[in-house]
Amino acid sequence: MIKIKHEQLPALIDFLSEKYQVYAPVQYGKETAFKKISSASEINKSKYNTSLNPKEIFFPQSEVMFTYDKEGIKTPLPKDKPIAVWGLKTCDTKSIRILDEVFSNAYQMPEKEMYKDPYWIARYKNCLLFSSACNEPLSTCFCNWFDSGPFDKTGSDVYVIDTGNEYIMEGISDSGKAFLENYKAVEQVTPEDQTKIDELKKKAKSYMQPPVELAGLKDKLQDIWDDPIWDEVSAKCINCGACAYICPTCHCFDVSDEGKEDKGKRVRLWDCCMFQLFTKEASGHNPRELSRNRVRQRVMHKYNYFVENYHEFLCTGCGRCVQVCPVNLDIRRVIQKILDYDKAK
Amino acid sequence: MKELQNKVKQLLNDKEIDLVIGWSKGSLPLVSTPVFITEAEQSDQLIFDHTCRNNLATYLTKDRKRLGKEYNKIGIVVKGCDARSIVLYVTENQVKRDKVVIIGVPCQGIFESRKIIDATGGREVLEQKIDGDQVILKGRGFEIKVSRDKVLRDCCLSCRYPDAPEYDYFIGEHRGEIDVKDEFKLVDDFEKKSSAERWQFITEEYSKCIRCYACRNVCPSCYCNYCFVDNNDPQWVGKTPEVTDNIIFHLIRNLHLAGRCVDCGACVSACPVNIDLRPLNKKVEKEMKERFGYTAGLDINEKPAMASHRENEKQDFIMG
Amino acid sequence: MCNTYIPISMKIERIINEDPDKTLRTYDLSFVNKEDEIKFKYMPGQFCEFSILGKGESPFGIASSPTEEGIIKFTISRTGSVTQEIHYLQEGDIVGIRGPLGNWYPDEKLRGNDTVIIGGGFAFTTLRSMIVYMLDHRDEYGKITVIYGARSPEFFIFKDELKEWEAREDITLHLTIDKPYPGWDKLIGFVPAVTKEVGLDPSAYVLVCGPPIMIKYTLPVLSEIGFEDSKIFTSLERRMKCGIGKCGRCGIGSKYICIDGPVFSLQELKKIPESF
Repeated sequence: MIKIKHEQLPALIDFLSEKYQVYAPVQYGKETAFKKISSASEINKSKYNTSLNPKEIFFPQSEVMFTYDKEGIKTPLPKDKPIAVWGLKTCDTKSIRILDEVFSNAYQMPEKEMYKDPYWIARYKNCLLFSSACNEPLSTCFCNWFDSGPFDKTGSDVYVIDTGNEYIMEGISDSGKAFLENYKAVEQVTPEDQTKIDELKKKAKSYMQPPVELAGLKDKLQDIWDDPIWDEVSAKCINCGACAYICPTCHCFDVSDEGKEDKGKRVRLWDCCMFQLFTKEASGHNPRELSRNRVRQRVMHKYNYFVENYHEFLCTGCGRCVQVCPVNLDIRRVIQKILDYDKAK
Repeated sequence: MKELQNKVKQLLNDKEIDLVIGWSKGSLPLVSTPVFITEAEQSDQLIFDHTCRNNLATYLTKDRKRLGKEYNKIGIVVKGCDARSIVLYVTENQVKRDKVVIIGVPCQGIFESRKIIDATGGREVLEQKIDGDQVILKGRGFEIKVSRDKVLRDCCLSCRYPDAPEYDYFIGEHRGEIDVKDEFKLVDDFEKKSSAERWQFITEEYSKCIRCYACRNVCPSCYCNYCFVDNNDPQWVGKTPEVTDNIIFHLIRNLHLAGRCVDCGACVSACPVNIDLRPLNKKVEKEMKERFGYTAGLDINEKPAMASHRENEKQDFIMG
Repeated sequence: MCNTYIPISMKIERIINEDPDKTLRTYDLSFVNKEDEIKFKYMPGQFCEFSILGKGESPFGIASSPTEEGIIKFTISRTGSVTQEIHYLQEGDIVGIRGPLGNWYPDEKLRGNDTVIIGGGFAFTTLRSMIVYMLDHRDEYGKITVIYGARSPEFFIFKDELKEWEAREDITLHLTIDKPYPGWDKLIGFVPAVTKEVGLDPSAYVLVCGPPIMIKYTLPVLSEIGFEDSKIFTSLERRMKCGIGKCGRCGIGSKYICIDGPVFSLQELKKIPESF
């Protein structure tokens, strides 16, 4: 473990910028988001997590898959410097790793080249994620439900703790360790620093509600698939889609052609399973006509279907959906309701 | 609130209505959440205060239109703007008047979460309490008092019709129509800008749009089964979040809302990237008022403005 | 690196109108680039995303068999905006396909065993692929029984092949139409009823493809006769976009139709809550 003073951050960012495109939390209108920066002065100083999620760094809202004209098809795969992200909180680091499993290894079949997403891989290759411990979780955070917590190191390349005037850094992955070996403008960590870390960790944990045990959730969902509980759960949802757009792990997308026969492009855009037209077929048949079925699909996908294929939840407990939902459909309450639900009654 | 709960309890017990849609306490301190009540005992959940931001009228259309088949009579608790949405639905033949029982409540304005976050300097609010015309905001390690007007929604600050213009029951004191000066100040300020400044404002705001369609989906007036954006034959507007496509989407949506927007503020609250949607909305509203003397959702017997023609309408754009 | 999102260029060699309404057409496509043809290895049951640049894509089951070299066949019904555009195409036009995608009929299991193939309407496309494949390797399979139902005689697709197969001794064909029709001397009745009446051996494998309502009523008949769930296979459809299990659109339960399907056994389907 090594550390740098807050004043030395600009030097670190400049050092990173030579080899990497650096992304960090910035002020974006009234919100905060992860955008490209060229110097540390652009970084937003809020201790809370950003309101907009970082999946757009590797999986942009709109991506041109190819352009075509009389000469044929051209694929504009991004060829920029590899990406480094500063200031990711532990929940967001985890969600980027989850998305990588989906896009690089559908169903964990790495031998199947055809299932790899070249656009994701072009951006994600050789990326460096600086995952920050979360000193001040919000009341909507529930990352501790998912075998994780504000000080979880899983998924980091370099793990960073902000002590208030210094950043303590630890290389976790091979690429993180290699980076820290190359970066010399650092100081050594002292035993007092370890005490500081322990205090911060304790404080952050105290801000969070005790976790809910999720071990039985997947099977419970399987069990109640056809039950009337879904009518209750979905009653107030207005299918606006804000939750999916703000969620760092949601990855459904639409593919759309724009242009004419002789010139145009094919793009992919974020989409949401909550929209009524998501599954509507050309014949007019819609397997998920009812809003209730779409709400059920979202909950099942995140907490059952995805678990079956990838052995983890498609949710990291970042709480952004809880903040943004216009009707306050709190997913934590939904989960609790499902766990408490007694079929017999 | 007790009065409201008792009234609903009575209506349910008398079987005058079999479903009530109202607000109950949310899981976060600054918001409430819609609740669907079918049993009289459940009416204790009902609240009405500054957190009741949702326009509940939207549950009468779109996906929930089937509620009309499942229930005989639906009671809805409404603020002024929500009731105007219901009036709009009746004039547009979406809902039959005798199908709904409108329960009006006196609205004093609704909190805007983002203004509250500004007031606390970005710190999370864990508790709020009204104290006269002030609001007490408490969080981790702080407690502040702000003037209530500082944290109400913009649309509430220029609201002319806080009372339901059409109702079956009204709980509490009417506020009456408020004589708002400069309700269109937003538009006048915008019109004072030069062309270049206007273009800069519009491109800056709408380049933030991520085309999540939350504004459209929460809007009570946007109930089309197939929105013009969903059309791909012909494709009226591109689906990618390029600023020109974003502007076209929002412009066309606003034009479709001419004479139909009740300025309930649902779109502004729902937008995840906090785009300033009101200038365009208000501009169209101002045009409708000045050209046709029409304000949406006030008179249940009036035909929709864009679907009718009156002989005394100005025709100077034809005759020169 | 392999980019499954990029379509392969194909040339339309032949277009056949399959029905009098001109809503069903069969397209024979050839590869513009020889290297694409060499790389394109598929099995009956798989599908492709048919691309019209500027308009969009639709998924279609491959109707040709891998033993028919150089040609990829699709039968397309004019339903929406993309298929409308496909119907405007002429012989010689260039289109794109992405594939082969999905899984295929369980060929290894069918070898050495009897197979019953049941189809309805224009869902017969991938079944044609399987039948031609089996007939081209005839000795490796047991008895082949085909039951194919259509609204009336003009609505059968692949009429030439059907005539050929009727004339063969090594395949039993039961063609049926919904209601009596002048000049029709073969079976009359819906597919589920015919399935019951023709007398099938329940130890065989079954491949069944058709409109949802036909499948809904045929499956109980098959169970009654005694066919095992693990030996009955069907092909599912949903709206698709990416074709490689990323965009989330064709998901049913925890499965993606574009990766785990479109071919599923009844045993698997019974475990998936959203399948019917």
